[in-house]
Amino acid sequence: MTTPTPLLSMLESYLKLTTAREQAISANMANVDTPGYHTHDINFAGELQNAMRKISNVGNGSESVPLIPASREVHGLLERPDGNNVSLDREGLLMAETQLQYALGIQLIRRQFHQIISAINGGSQS
Amino acid sequence: MNLFDSLAVSGSALSAERQRSEIIAANMANAETTHTEAGGPFHRREVVFHSTVSSNFQLALHHEGVQGAPPHGSVHISEVVDDTTPPVMKYEPGHPDANKDGYVAYPAINPVMEMVDLMASVRAYQLNASAVTATKQMIQQTIEILKS
Amino acid sequence: MSNSISDLGSIGNIGTLPKVQPAPKSEQSEGFGGVLAHALQQVNQLNGGAEQQIGNMLKGGSADMSSVMISVEKADIAFQLMMQVRNKIVSAYQDIEKMQF
Repeated sequence: MTTPTPLLSMLESYLKLTTAREQAISANMANVDTPGYHTHDINFAGELQNAMRKISNVGNGSESVPLIPASREVHGLLERPDGNNVSLDREGLLMAETQLQYALGIQLIRRQFHQIISAINGGSQS
Repeated sequence: MNLFDSLAVSGSALSAERQRSEIIAANMANAETTHTEAGGPFHRREVVFHSTVSSNFQLALHHEGVQGAPPHGSVHISEVVDDTTPPVMKYEPGHPDANKDGYVAYPAINPVMEMVDLMASVRAYQLNASAVTATKQMIQQTIEILKS
Repeated sequence: MSNSISDLGSIGNIGTLPKVQPAPKSEQSEGFGGVLAHALQQVNQLNGGAEQQIGNMLKGGSADMSSVMISVEKADIAFQLMMQVRNKIVSAYQDIEKMQF
């Protein structure tokens, strides 16, 4: 009944992408000692642009956009003698950033739903 | 593409690092063992990590719900190998394990190397433990959408 | 009641609201309707602006999170205010309807 607004669809895609990035970072951290392992990541900004474009194309944004972000290798990282190029600092920093992004997305979504619910209740109880 | 897979990946890393530190501890404990059941001095052991890296196609399949392989990025110990470095020979004629020339074979274990390896293992363990905490926090926040 | 309605004029340039008077109903509803329409417009504007800012921030364009948060909060407060104004207006209308002549 209540079709999600474009903003909701956008926030949904944002959260999905943040989750995918979190997975990539977890995998990188888990393989910090595996010989020959190369750091993986997703193209966050690019995928988000894609998703936003799809949202504005699909009618009034009433459908959620299918999203499977492609994982690709990160270039420009120093490779240690055993072939592993996972950088602890990069992963730690990225994980902190991703966590904050996720918290932000969640708060914005909660606020959206709050607003809709308060409108439904006629403002008498929020 | 869900956070529980992330937990599984970090969990696999924790388990692998723990096993690695056990092997290292065994090496350090047996640095002076000149006689084992198999005969000869203790052999230093090493672990080999192996990671399950899925291609993008497999990731898409997994996203559609096809069960099967462990999540992308899981790490496990594929094998534990014996170090083939020849043992260190020390001249101790009175030792019960001395050979006919009076030399005793000691394991070629350098405590400093083992210590460094152990520190690396502990550091990796801490890193993945913090990853578990972060993922758990994200899952909790997701549940909070439903609150109020 | 009329006092609290004029206090809610901080929604922005609503001006002085028509006092509740025993006058023909059609005039009253028009005055109130206009007030509400104006408030609705304001809320829409603020909301649209906030949504745009959120979109920009998520894309990573402007990292000015504080201004985005403040805009979102402003839009929210305007919305709540409008809801309360609407409630008051509806109850005022119902009171007028109950008046016997």
